[in-house]
Amino acid sequence: MTRNVVWFAALWLLAATIIPARPALALTETEVAEGLLCYACPGEPLTADRCRGGDQMRATIRRMIAEGKTKQEILSYFAQEFGEDILTYPPKRGFNLVAYVGPFVGLLVGAAVAAVVVRRWSSAGRRRSEPRDPGSAPSRLDEKTRRRIEEELSHLDEEA
Amino acid sequence: MVTFGNLSQFGALAFSLLAMVLLVTGVVRNDLRWVRAGKRSLVGVAVLATGASVALGYLFLTDAFQVEYVASYSDRALPVFYKATAFWAGQKGSLLFWAWVLSLFSALVIHNNRREPDTRATPYVYLVLAGTLAFFLFLLCAVTNPFETLGFVPRDGQGLNPMLQNPGMVFHPPTLFLGYIGFTIPFAYAVAAMVTGSTDASWIRKTRAWNVLSWIFLTVGIILGGQWAYVELGWGGYWAWDPVENASFIPWLTSTAFIHTAIIQERRGIMKVWNMSLILLTFVLCIFGTYLVRSGVLQSVHDFGATGLGGYFLVFIAVTLLGGIYLIAESYGELKTPGALESYLSRESTFLFNNVILLALAFATFFGTVFPLISEAVTGNKVTVGPPFFNMVNTPLFLVLLLITGVCPLIGWRKASPANLRRNFLRPAVAALVAGGALVALGVREPYALVAFTLAGFVAATIVQEFVTAVGSRRKLTGESSLIAGFRVLWRMRRRYGGHLVHLGLVLIVVGITGSSAYKLETQATLARGEALHIGRYELKYEDFKTYQKFNRTVYAAVLGVYNGGERIGQLDAERRYYVNARQPTTEVALRSTLVEDLYVTMPGIGRTGEITLKVAVNPLLIWIWIGGGVMVLGGVLAIIPSRKKRRAP
Repeated sequence: MTRNVVWFAALWLLAATIIPARPALALTETEVAEGLLCYACPGEPLTADRCRGGDQMRATIRRMIAEGKTKQEILSYFAQEFGEDILTYPPKRGFNLVAYVGPFVGLLVGAAVAAVVVRRWSSAGRRRSEPRDPGSAPSRLDEKTRRRIEEELSHLDEEA
Repeated sequence: MVTFGNLSQFGALAFSLLAMVLLVTGVVRNDLRWVRAGKRSLVGVAVLATGASVALGYLFLTDAFQVEYVASYSDRALPVFYKATAFWAGQKGSLLFWAWVLSLFSALVIHNNRREPDTRATPYVYLVLAGTLAFFLFLLCAVTNPFETLGFVPRDGQGLNPMLQNPGMVFHPPTLFLGYIGFTIPFAYAVAAMVTGSTDASWIRKTRAWNVLSWIFLTVGIILGGQWAYVELGWGGYWAWDPVENASFIPWLTSTAFIHTAIIQERRGIMKVWNMSLILLTFVLCIFGTYLVRSGVLQSVHDFGATGLGGYFLVFIAVTLLGGIYLIAESYGELKTPGALESYLSRESTFLFNNVILLALAFATFFGTVFPLISEAVTGNKVTVGPPFFNMVNTPLFLVLLLITGVCPLIGWRKASPANLRRNFLRPAVAALVAGGALVALGVREPYALVAFTLAGFVAATIVQEFVTAVGSRRKLTGESSLIAGFRVLWRMRRRYGGHLVHLGLVLIVVGITGSSAYKLETQATLARGEALHIGRYELKYEDFKTYQKFNRTVYAAVLGVYNGGERIGQLDAERRYYVNARQPTTEVALRSTLVEDLYVTMPGIGRTGEITLKVAVNPLLIWIWIGGGVMVLGGVLAIIPSRKKRRAP
């Protein structure tokens, strides 16, 4: 079975390299609009907005896409015209970096704490399960019995 | 009826305060008679809050526009169904709904415990419930009274926002609120457990059904909200990372974490401090969610109007949070248990890491939601934090969560041997690689989509493997047919397979989100009658235009023939609706939904010479989000159906 996994993994990588990918889709109005708020309706995402101001912005986006501008170029244009708070995301610089980095720092701290806890608990568990008198330790189970016990125990697992 | 409503509401407040006094007296005098009287007062609150709610419903149904709240959210032309549900369309009615449902839940807890003797913990459970009720009833009576009158009777009301006149919006707020409110019960039991030092898992066992039920309501509320946004807002999406959406999603994440670690406490007696902290956090976040909708502190399409409620909510949240932290610190000695795991490789440790990811997601979402305020306070600039930010930060976290969802059931409780792991991982890993390979062969290259689909295949394979093995074992033992054995395995181990169904629902949602976001097609065109546009494999032909009156609206509908390969496969009516009392027209989405993809059409414009502007999208696999939500709910329901032994118990 292990050989199968290796075989499939190799096939997967091969396919990834030799089969042509679907051509990249052209930039759409919505892709750009997702990065913008309507200038006329404070706080309203341009994707959800249906006012005249929003129509003007969408027309500008369509024109700039037709001119071959990239998403970033179009967003920068609107940020220059109306200020950065027209963007639906904080630009990645200065204090705003805290927003981007903060969650991952939180994740790392949480994962580190969890790792320490699991390590401490598992060493405590090992200490507990060590037999006090080596002479009284149960004899090793043969593989077949051990598998049967494991199987039956797993069926007894009533929880998620 | 206004007087009746007011009296009921003030009476409910008085009874909730009375309940608090009686319960405190019961504790101080150590006399259960006072506690019983306190419980009766809580039942009185339920009766009176029901009276107030019936009064408000009656006022809506009878067009009592002298009441400011009724005049603001209803009008004569509004269909009766929406008149009744306009009850919770604004902040005042929503708060009354909160108090009413919590009072009913409190009475239900009293009813469920009627055969159990009162213990030292009893008064504290009801004290927390009475205190929370008193807070909401105080807001209703003193700050934002739904029975406040205008002093004159307007000829008509201002009407209900047309976007709220949709079945999804009728059921979305109450289900979400039911979830928020439900978590008050486990929180009350947790507080009582800490105060009385009964910190074993009995409070978790007693409130398990409440936890899962509240989680189900939150899930339904979130899914319905997404469904409403999809079919009503007309921008083609279902989740905008709006502050109010986030406010419902964050407690969903923390409660999901709690449901997992509560199992560990039940089985192993560890993680007590953690579980207390999680239920405290979930309850506070539920209150925060209610506050966020009502405060207007963050710009959001959900802000029905800024009021002076924010300060009261902040005080309540601060008192609850500080009180909860104090109680956890005070009972830390009793809560702290020497944790012991037999191995790194155990289900307990994977649950712990799943909690880390769930909380990281909750933190990232919370941080992003409040970052505009932080930024404004620190730099003076109020930045906007919207979908691009949340998608960027949360997507990798979701993928890790999905991986853990698959890994978790493969690792046994206590200790997993390498041989056991090899045996359990092999088939799902192969299935995932096959799924990934097939997708690559089909041309999928977007890294996130490829990883998401492959992981979805992995998780689905783990669930199927587990189920097939269990059914096989049962067949061997009993000789039953596969169908019967499958059904009996599901039913007899419903808690376990309920959980697996929830995971399967998550897999389907991931498939729907990934397919619809990575492979969406869009186009916009202006058509004269008889002209057509093409998108993907579809051709949409503008065939006719209709104008008609229905209920409280005038409808302008473009009839569009849907063709695939020259064959007419259906018809879509894209509408623009002009509601009575509404200043702006609304667009109504025309949707052709199949298991493969949605054809999604809106008509943002109608020209003077009869031409129409259409915005059309093809959203692949999107329907699986709603199906996945349904499967999740089904799994949750399956997991809380009590065993026969329990049901027979007195």
